[in-house]
Amino acid sequence: MTNAPFVVMKAVAKRWNGQLGVEDISLDIDEGSFVALLGPSGCGKSTSLRLLAGLEIPDEGQILIDGRDVTTSAASDRNLSMVFQSYALFPHLSVAENVIFGLKVRRVPRAERAKKMKRALQITGLEGLEHRKPGELSGGQRQRVALARAIVAGQRLCLMDEPLSNLDAKLRNSVRKDIKKLQRDLGITVIYVTHDQTEAMSMADKVVLMKDGRIQQVGTPDDLYNRPANTFVAEFVGAPPMALIQSSVLGGFDASLTLGLRAEHVSIVSKGEGQLSCTVSEAEFLGSETLIGLSHEGTVGLSVLQPGLALLDEGTTVDIAFDAANLHKFNQEGDRMSEV
Amino acid sequence: MNTVLRYIEPAGAILLAVIWISPLMFAFWAAFHSTSDAVNFNLFSAWTLDNFRTAWDGAPWLRYFLNTFLLVTVVLIGQFILTTLAGFAFAKLDFPGKNFVFILVLMQLFILPEVLIVENYAMVSRLGLFDSILGVGMPYMASAFGIFLMRQSFKSVPIELHEAARIEGCGLLGILWRVYVPLAKPTYLAYALVSVSTHWNNFLWPLIVTNSPETRPLTVGLSIFGAPENGVDISVISAATMMSVAPLLLAFLLFQRQFVQAFLRAGIK
Repeated sequence: MTNAPFVVMKAVAKRWNGQLGVEDISLDIDEGSFVALLGPSGCGKSTSLRLLAGLEIPDEGQILIDGRDVTTSAASDRNLSMVFQSYALFPHLSVAENVIFGLKVRRVPRAERAKKMKRALQITGLEGLEHRKPGELSGGQRQRVALARAIVAGQRLCLMDEPLSNLDAKLRNSVRKDIKKLQRDLGITVIYVTHDQTEAMSMADKVVLMKDGRIQQVGTPDDLYNRPANTFVAEFVGAPPMALIQSSVLGGFDASLTLGLRAEHVSIVSKGEGQLSCTVSEAEFLGSETLIGLSHEGTVGLSVLQPGLALLDEGTTVDIAFDAANLHKFNQEGDRMSEV
Repeated sequence: MNTVLRYIEPAGAILLAVIWISPLMFAFWAAFHSTSDAVNFNLFSAWTLDNFRTAWDGAPWLRYFLNTFLLVTVVLIGQFILTTLAGFAFAKLDFPGKNFVFILVLMQLFILPEVLIVENYAMVSRLGLFDSILGVGMPYMASAFGIFLMRQSFKSVPIELHEAARIEGCGLLGILWRVYVPLAKPTYLAYALVSVSTHWNNFLWPLIVTNSPETRPLTVGLSIFGAPENGVDISVISAATMMSVAPLLLAFLLFQRQFVQAFLRAGIK
């Protein structure tokens, strides 16, 4: 394997009649990695994926796949596969015909087709359903057919556009593990679009967080959670999200800074011993712990986690303490400042 | 009041049905009886097949059947090719002036084919297709109704299927053939039914543009056979009529359920 990245996007932009598409997307993706494009709806993550797939042609910039410039190539020439949010199975074809659709189009000999299909169905656990029509399958099975179609040709790059969003929560968890295992076993590169940070954080080697058509941060899940590049990332990643506190509230810091603080670094202490005195705004029992939302002037999203069932009445005043080392510092523009 | 209303509707429907089917019933009755028995409605008279024998010997029916069959086939094939391609272009491709051209096509729906008979006649003559089956079928191939129908049907195909096929390596015509056409099957079936019955029954245009028994379809042959100068024999003409409508009638009775379903699925009523 060469050191050059497998997929490269260089300053790619796509605009629609003044509406926001994506701007200045630059991305290097290594072969065999699992990359998640994460962000709120309308942030341009799906557009980025469609640009990679060749379903849209960028207005600016360059896209390289496996060292080849494919900026304006047709989708069929890019040697990739794609799983759609709606699965996009052909309703008039059986499971088997759906899976080998691409092989047939590309005139792969019949014997090889049968062999590849058998393997793909084996991997995705679809044996015995070959002759069913998509309309006769459950949501989970349809999803697996879409996966089988994506892996059958042995393409090294697979794009997935929110493939789990039509599944119920329980199934989503198990399929998430299946997809991750599949990606590792086959050694393929997966670029995965999602608005669900749990999916992105649990599956991806690298997360690309986007907002309003621009990349906010590229990094490992650890980077995003523990070293957010700006206040948007801080507030988007994690449940509960990072609390933001105006530095003037705490004192001892330069004015006009924003300080970030995760709930797990906050503790409730007896009156008079804490750094900040807040009012309880809500208390939510999560099972193993209780999430207590706090409000104080100049803070957003301040909360604390207490083990077990520890509900507090709304309006109660509590004192909280935290270690200053756990504070994240952001400048006036909201960008992260190097560690002080 | 309500009970009266409940009976009026079905009674009206039955009355309409009886009025509608009575010519056919009479032709059926007359075809199997001698002329005097037929017009006198002599219910106990003997049934006979003589009329069919006389009618069959009176004209080259086999040739007419073949001509009509060839005609509807040629028209249907031409229509399928043209309406598929045009409908796909209007539904899924972008080209300058698309909406304007589509409106022009739709305007064809407002023009009765009979209005164009002279122009079509001149056109077919210029093409050297006068008195040929292709000449009879040609003016109907670019059917506005068909183009509109295919466009609607193709438009309802989800764009994801188009994109998935693109990624799997299909070209534009490949996508049309492998995705759009199979998904529009009910529409094709319903349209074929309309087209075949229309052109099986079409009379005026084939009458004008055909000249010889070799190209004449059933309808024209039948009218020449029943023309007053050949002597009017109600029973024999009825027998000939029964022969000409039999294939379509039988096909409809046999495949009634499929036809109705095709119409429902294609959304035409």
